[in-house]
Amino acid sequence: MPARDAWTESEPRTICDLMPAGLKILLTLTTIVAAGLIPLEHWPAQGLLLAIVFAGLSLAGVTMRYLLRRLGLFLPLLLVFGLSVPAVQSGDAAWSWTISLWLRCTVSFLAGLWLIHVLPFPKLLTALRRWKCPLVLIAMLGFMYRYTFILWEELRRLRNARAARDFGRVPRWRSWTSNAQMIGLLLVRALERAERTHQAMLARGWDGSVRFLDADD
Amino acid sequence: MHIRDGILGPEVCLIAGTISLGAITYSLRRLRLDLADRAVPLTGMLAALIFAGQMVNFPLLGLPVSGHLLGGVLAAVMLGPWAGCLAITMVLTVQAVLFSDGGLLSLGANILNMAVIGSWGGYAVYSTVRRWLGNSPAATVSAAVIAAWLSVLAAAAMFCIEFTVSSRSTGIDWRGVLTLMVLYHALIGIGEALITGAIVSYVLVRRADLVPSVNSTGTASRIGGFVASGLVAALAVAAILAPFKSELPDGLDAVSQRLQFDSLEIERPALLLEDYEIPAPAVSWWPGLSVSLAGIVGTLVVFTGSVALAATTRRQLAQVRVTDGSHAGS
Amino acid sequence: MTNVEPTAIELRQLSFQYPNGRLALDAITCLVPVGERLAIVGPSGAGKSTLLMHMNGLLPAAPTNTDAEVQVFVQGQGVTRTRLRDIRREVGFLFQDPDDQLFCPTVREDVAFGPLNLGLERAEVIARVERGLAAVGMADCSTRNPAELSTGERKRVCLAGLLACQPSILVLDEPTSNLDPRARRQLLAILREFPGTLIVATHDLDFVIDLCSRVLVLESGKVQADGPTQRILSDPLIMDRHGLEVPWRLR
Repeated sequence: MPARDAWTESEPRTICDLMPAGLKILLTLTTIVAAGLIPLEHWPAQGLLLAIVFAGLSLAGVTMRYLLRRLGLFLPLLLVFGLSVPAVQSGDAAWSWTISLWLRCTVSFLAGLWLIHVLPFPKLLTALRRWKCPLVLIAMLGFMYRYTFILWEELRRLRNARAARDFGRVPRWRSWTSNAQMIGLLLVRALERAERTHQAMLARGWDGSVRFLDADD
Repeated sequence: MHIRDGILGPEVCLIAGTISLGAITYSLRRLRLDLADRAVPLTGMLAALIFAGQMVNFPLLGLPVSGHLLGGVLAAVMLGPWAGCLAITMVLTVQAVLFSDGGLLSLGANILNMAVIGSWGGYAVYSTVRRWLGNSPAATVSAAVIAAWLSVLAAAAMFCIEFTVSSRSTGIDWRGVLTLMVLYHALIGIGEALITGAIVSYVLVRRADLVPSVNSTGTASRIGGFVASGLVAALAVAAILAPFKSELPDGLDAVSQRLQFDSLEIERPALLLEDYEIPAPAVSWWPGLSVSLAGIVGTLVVFTGSVALAATTRRQLAQVRVTDGSHAGS
Repeated sequence: MTNVEPTAIELRQLSFQYPNGRLALDAITCLVPVGERLAIVGPSGAGKSTLLMHMNGLLPAAPTNTDAEVQVFVQGQGVTRTRLRDIRREVGFLFQDPDDQLFCPTVREDVAFGPLNLGLERAEVIARVERGLAAVGMADCSTRNPAELSTGERKRVCLAGLLACQPSILVLDEPTSNLDPRARRQLLAILREFPGTLIVATHDLDFVIDLCSRVLVLESGKVQADGPTQRILSDPLIMDRHGLEVPWRLR
């Protein structure tokens, strides 16, 4: 779950917080598109983009440790993916494609990291509303957000209950079936809760039309 | 499975995004008709469930990586294709925007592959197979398993198409990439099929009333479902064939030229495979062989798993009937 | 014959059958005057929740269209399909699990849900939200995520959401379950301030003594006893026969 759950209107901590949500999304997408369109021959341009993204990340207050951790999870798969071309074909063309891929994917990934740091979930929902996204979808997203916490908590309880029963090592295939059963149980409980929630919504006058408190700015 | 930014070109992402947007709009409309005022709580909860379920690790034998549920077919089985598509769309969106788990620009392509093909297409296969096999719980489980396997392969094929259309550099043999992707998806597909089957089996034994029936209203939707499942199956087969076909990129090249993609290029060489390099004989056979093996082995494993899960479901249901006179099964 | 006291809720031979055929409620007749505080007690499975859900039209699942078959009357009006909206405005229902009822991403949005559905103006909605939160002592939590709140705090937010609709009747299903003693006392204080009619289904007999003046004992879908709290709860014959115990305070 994201470390920041900033529903409260706190003081802007960095300069990035002052930008409107739409601008942040636009900047990120522009960076990604630019990274996608720059050919390898113009590698200084890619380097410049990389530098810009790093600057943005430090402005947003992202720590090096976090960055390295995320890159550590992301890069290995990217490396393997890129190497699949030179593995089949030797020569400059293959390698230049691979290096170009590595560069633009890394730039794009870092741009995405910047966005998740400067755009909290509620601001995203507000931006979506402003762009005339269907209200039903926004209501469903809000629901999903709220109930993910509850389901995580239930999952944790189910795991603990199971751990209390598994005294020793469990064979792999057994843990597959019990994991599937855990999700199945979670699913049943989730749908039952959804029905009860629907009743609670009806009890408070719900008729299917979505209404929000804050008017569009 | 989640496509990252930078792998697909911006134009392809735009097209995929537009198609996905259309699919989402259509799903919303059908969902409101289907579920009316229950749409918001049920779909929101389903999305939360898929999201939470994707975090459960299924350890792979001996490997440091683990498998996860994708949930396209599971979502469609529980609440229908429209809610399934929207739930997966919401999960993908939150993952991309809040976790950077999947690209932002390629979100449209991810939605197309996993929510539209994965959930819509998966449901089409599921409903068709379930009707063929009869509506028993065992048939439901088998249908879900088969649908999950085929939909993941179809999504792989879709990715291959997207990738080939968007990557236009000269003289590059894409078979390595395509083979890797198909093998990767075949592995995921097996896991997805077995996990989905196990979950559906569990739900059927305990609360069969939660799994809706697939008796559709008219012949039109039956035919539509049949056609859609045929398309999905065709895509799935195409995925296995992708690394074989060297003339596939030519066809797509003709299409892309007709649609004037070249005009969007900035100093990119046009895609013509005249200077296509024939790789050394030593590496020419392994993509085809490995993918064929993956296809055959995968299908065998999935088939066996489907039979095993169906049998387990029947047995467990029989036990429940014995212990409790009244049973809520279908 | 005219009723001198206005009636908040009236049940006339209310019966209800579960889908599997089991009879949940068996010809229940009961009159709840305006302003009364009624407790419904009984063993588990007695049908308490089912009974409560008839009071705001959540059951039966398919309400009747005509007055002739109605068995539940709220403020003198029969609960029919066309009147459901008005009925639910009058009757606030507190569910047992606050997480079933707190479904918005923030406290503020959730409390505003009811008033927004009533079609009120934005300024009025905001005013009601603030009043509701103040009434339950949660005014400084309006932008919090419900996941961060304790069970007692969530219950209070749910209550605020109901109070914001300004109902004349509050129906509560096991309000003190999972509450620690302090949260329980807070809830008691809030409910004591409520000016309208209260109907509470609960196992918490001490809570009943503190809050309610009348007790109805339900078992097997039938009314087994109905009378003043002190008399019913201190009668060991009634208590033992219906799976209950005389509370320590009354022994």
